[in-house]
Amino acid sequence: MGQAFRKLFDAFFGNKEMRVVMLGLDAAGKTTILYKLHIGEVLSTVPTIGFNVEKVQYKNVVFTVWDVGGQEKLRPLWRHYFNNTDALIYVVDSLDRERIGRARAEFQAIINDPFMLNSVLLVFANKQDMRGAMTPMEVCEGLGLYDLTNRIWHIQGTCALKGDGLYEGLDWLATTLDEMRASGRITSTSSS
Amino acid sequence: MQRAPPHDRLKVRCGDAPPQRHCPLRRREEVRTEEAERRRWRRTISCIFLIAQTHITEDIDLANARERLEHLLKQPANKFCADCGTPDPKWAALPFGALICIKCSGTHRSLGVHISKVISVNLDEWTDEEVNCLARSGGNATVNTRYEAFLPENYKKPRQDCSTEERSNFIRKKYELQQFMTDPQFTCPLRLNNKHTADKHHHQQNSSVRHGFGHPFRNSWKRRDTDQKGLKKMTDVGMVEFVGLIKVNIRRGINLAVRDVMSSDPYVMLNLGHQSMKTKVIKNTLNPIWNERLMLSIPHPVPHLKLQVFDKDTFTCDDRMGEAEVDIRPLISAAREYENSAVTDPGEVSKWLASEDGTLSKDSIISVVDGKVKQDIMLRLQNVEHGELEIELECVPLSQ
Repeated sequence: MGQAFRKLFDAFFGNKEMRVVMLGLDAAGKTTILYKLHIGEVLSTVPTIGFNVEKVQYKNVVFTVWDVGGQEKLRPLWRHYFNNTDALIYVVDSLDRERIGRARAEFQAIINDPFMLNSVLLVFANKQDMRGAMTPMEVCEGLGLYDLTNRIWHIQGTCALKGDGLYEGLDWLATTLDEMRASGRITSTSSS
Repeated sequence: MQRAPPHDRLKVRCGDAPPQRHCPLRRREEVRTEEAERRRWRRTISCIFLIAQTHITEDIDLANARERLEHLLKQPANKFCADCGTPDPKWAALPFGALICIKCSGTHRSLGVHISKVISVNLDEWTDEEVNCLARSGGNATVNTRYEAFLPENYKKPRQDCSTEERSNFIRKKYELQQFMTDPQFTCPLRLNNKHTADKHHHQQNSSVRHGFGHPFRNSWKRRDTDQKGLKKMTDVGMVEFVGLIKVNIRRGINLAVRDVMSSDPYVMLNLGHQSMKTKVIKNTLNPIWNERLMLSIPHPVPHLKLQVFDKDTFTCDDRMGEAEVDIRPLISAAREYENSAVTDPGEVSKWLASEDGTLSKDSIISVVDGKVKQDIMLRLQNVEHGELEIELECVPLSQ
């Protein structure tokens, strides 16, 4: 009986965990976003040859965020991080109009991977502070998000340097996670 | 009526005389115009030749973009970072065409792609155009002559171990503001540029308001207004750097153990650190041929590469058919050594000897084939009655 109460209590107030993988082309701002979320500061980053993983708590959700290097030859390794992933954060450099096609191809390849079919998709249209950056709408179109049926997705304009939009994104993830758990669509997350 | 030849028409346009096609005496102006036209023709023709030539060379280039890149990297000035002098730079900043180290590449990336586009020598596929851009720039020597033409004598260029601020200040001044390109005596770029950046900043703020960013839109999910107070920081989990990539070619299995009635349905599971990959299942055989290439990253510290063979069962747990572990460190050090030395001749690098009771059932050789460092291994599977596995490893080191 006590255990049942405990479970019920945890379901409402306990910390939930969510495994998130953050991907995107090189120089999109993945590592800057991760550390802005993690320590609240802008670090001067160098290209990630490997990956960074940090835990970020937002409200009652602990996000384990994996940030994997985006250089061309590292992209085939992304799939090693797909298993048991609840959400994908895809970061796009909104200033880089030239490579939006490339970003789209990589994005479509990720979301169509068998391991990623159930994960929710959050797109960060980063570097919104730059002059001439694509709007979130344009990025949305560029990635082909509008054509995505039966996937749960959300696009968010962000500026990692100021931190604008990042928590709104996490908020969406937390809310979506809650709703999915309520409807029983998610199985890999656990209460702790 | 016959149409006037082109030079006549030209004369009409010049407006100096009416067309006189059969005039025996040419006026001076007329001769001059013809001369000008001839010159123009000559220029056009040489232009066409130039274009044709570049097209031809571009065709040849397509085949060997990588080779040309390697060649450009060998220029003496390109062996040191253009900005801080760190030896062996592995990154390039386009369109400047400067070869830079990983730390400077971080700063270059922060300038934005409209100013500096950073690509990696090893981790990106170079297009022909990118190699051309690097070739046209003339390498670090030319880049620095141009962008540091008026570098004040007492100005201290950042060095390998300088602070992030120092590095970033210098790179911004050199490429974004281009302060050292013109003589400071005649211009006052600093003030102008400051004003410019201030304007830009102002504009950016405006534009972000106009775009309405910060107001997300979503497809179907309700938004719940929440504050950010719930955010808490957690302890570090850390950063993991890859020392390289390993390509594992699982060729075949020989004389594997029987796990079903007469035969087995074998597949191989690879493990390196937290990564794991599987080959496909080959049904009903004890001598399967997979020939599958799997790629994994090599974390630091380097773990052993684990190979496990399983028999695929539909209704019960898959049965074990033996396992083996390979120490890949010698291969990595061989690959690094090869990369750092200028030796290009292929051949045997080192050899592991087989032993009666060990994992190796044949001598294993680390060799260089077509500039790739490879190792052929014949493994004797452990914890099983019998069975061997033939694999080939290739290591791509990622030293930055």
